[in-house]
Amino acid sequence: MINIDIGATAISILTLFGIYSLMSISLNLEYGVAGLPNFGKALFISIGAYTAGITYTRLLPLLAGAEAIHPCGPTMGGALQLRSEIMASQPIAGFINFALTLVFAAVIADAVGFAVSYVTLRLKEEWFLALVLLVGGETVRILVRGADDFICSHNGISGVAQPFFFVADPRSRALLFMLLSLALALLAYLCSQRLYHSPFGRMLKGLRENEEVTRGLGKNISLARAQIMAVGSLMAAIGGVLFALNTGFVNTNDFVVNLTLDVWVMVVLGGIGNNRGALLGALLIAIMDRFAQIGAIVLNMGGSEIEFNYVRFIAFGLILLWMLRYRPSGLLPESRLTTDAHDVVRRVIGASK
Amino acid sequence: MPPALLTTSLVNTIQIGSLYALMALGITLTFSVMKLPNFAHAEYATAGAYAALIVSLSGALNPLVIMIAAFFVGALSALISHLAVFKPLEGRDVSFYTLILASFAVGLIIRYILFTMADYFNLFDLRIAIPLRVLFRDGYLILSNLFAWVAPTSLVLVFILTLLLNRSPLGREMRALADNINLARVIGIPVERVKNYTWLLVGGLAGVAGALWGLQTAVHPLMGWVAIISVFAAAILGGLSSFSGTILGAYVVAFSENTVILFLNVNYGVDLAYKPAIPFIIIIVVLLFRPQGLTKLIRRAGDLGR
Repeated sequence: MINIDIGATAISILTLFGIYSLMSISLNLEYGVAGLPNFGKALFISIGAYTAGITYTRLLPLLAGAEAIHPCGPTMGGALQLRSEIMASQPIAGFINFALTLVFAAVIADAVGFAVSYVTLRLKEEWFLALVLLVGGETVRILVRGADDFICSHNGISGVAQPFFFVADPRSRALLFMLLSLALALLAYLCSQRLYHSPFGRMLKGLRENEEVTRGLGKNISLARAQIMAVGSLMAAIGGVLFALNTGFVNTNDFVVNLTLDVWVMVVLGGIGNNRGALLGALLIAIMDRFAQIGAIVLNMGGSEIEFNYVRFIAFGLILLWMLRYRPSGLLPESRLTTDAHDVVRRVIGASK
Repeated sequence: MPPALLTTSLVNTIQIGSLYALMALGITLTFSVMKLPNFAHAEYATAGAYAALIVSLSGALNPLVIMIAAFFVGALSALISHLAVFKPLEGRDVSFYTLILASFAVGLIIRYILFTMADYFNLFDLRIAIPLRVLFRDGYLILSNLFAWVAPTSLVLVFILTLLLNRSPLGREMRALADNINLARVIGIPVERVKNYTWLLVGGLAGVAGALWGLQTAVHPLMGWVAIISVFAAAILGGLSSFSGTILGAYVVAFSENTVILFLNVNYGVDLAYKPAIPFIIIIVVLLFRPQGLTKLIRRAGDLGR
């Protein structure tokens, strides 16, 4: 048997939980609240990761007062060493770079999300949006992978270190990053709760339930769609930045359709339309992910022939099917929302009887 | 472009296009009859390819036997996914996105079951090894007996399927379902049975397509998943409702993936790594600018009207 370090496992689960929460809350806002089927989640997550890949190779050396080295090809090793040295010795440059990465990722994802929503105006049927986003995400991935200089095509960029890389003790370094990701997730949760209970959130729910009625009430539904796509994309991209920093690696192969499906499993599992459900889904998937990795190691050390990583995907598929069939509203269903008007109506009806 | 390269790519277009047509017709049928965009469709082809591979490894090298085995396994996996997943969901009148998600989940499960199996028995990247014979050779262009199997078999199957849909009672019932399911039920068409037959047919054809695919390249658990977007692109070119449009769409997609990219590569230096992007671009352009696909161009009797 191997020894499982409980502290380290807990830290890694909670870090993943923070990152996954950003992704699942963003999908919950888009699909659960506004009814937009974003099957291109991997695209918006990858925007964050690619931004990190660019800033860490081009911007970070400049912030640290060094000359940027071309990150791909023969100078790859030198550039990697430069990144690591800067991250280890110049925390200020690392933090400024991290903050700027978040800002750039947010702005780019905002613009892309806003632009994509206008595609819906042209589509004949609503579900085409799901297909366009799915396919668009893969197209961008192939184009980025094909471009040699962008993030080094097939090789990807390694050494995308988290901002607390300068801390010597690995345990406290991981702990600080965990707190950072949890803090960002908490911020996203509070914002989306605020949004959910605002008049804007109610309009989005109206859009989800009946587009025609919402339009009939004089709401600008295409603008509302564009805004919620922008908000969701922003959160997903920030999740993508953290995702890249957590693995320390940016590679186009991480942003395939399976990642999109993972986020959908979180939302379907937790509860569609409920932000707390999205958090629960993210937590459960983070735990399952980590234990699947541990299980794979234990099984392989035990001499088992079965590749556990495949079993993980089968399990995810089964969970998804089970939930869709038996608990379509998720573990934490969206609560029924009543306003003052409901009470008045109920009192009037009660009085007339 | 050198003529030898051109001919080779055109031969590939015919071969790949026929296989795409075989699978894309299945997607068009499931979408028309069941109102389901089935993203698990290509996994039936992978399952069929693995059935064919296992049969061929066990010593049966007659291509007909291999294809019949592939047909049965493909048909069975399609029927099981209908009975276990899609039918209960349809009964509950769920949203369209739930069905899309469920089809992704079915695809994931089949794909990784095949992965586990292939890993356990070490069945990665093997070719279905029927004996190779060169039939025709002219410079670079070599046509083997594989070509004689792949393209004609798929063309004949496509033809039979079209006949079945247009001329047989089952085909008439399928078209009735596609048109208006409630009306079909009212006039006494056994809706559930017709659906079961449709799934068997669709899955079986995908299975044969997978086996033919495995004849010319190699069998891998991801082969279906890699092809699904091209196949969807073909079905979308057919407006997801037209048979003739889907067949034409399959050859258009195959032509762009084989000949057009080669042309761009030779003349404008476009990297061949961009080849996978072609079907994606086709889908986006068609959905945005011509969502009815090629249907309006070649509308005929027998198209599954919507």
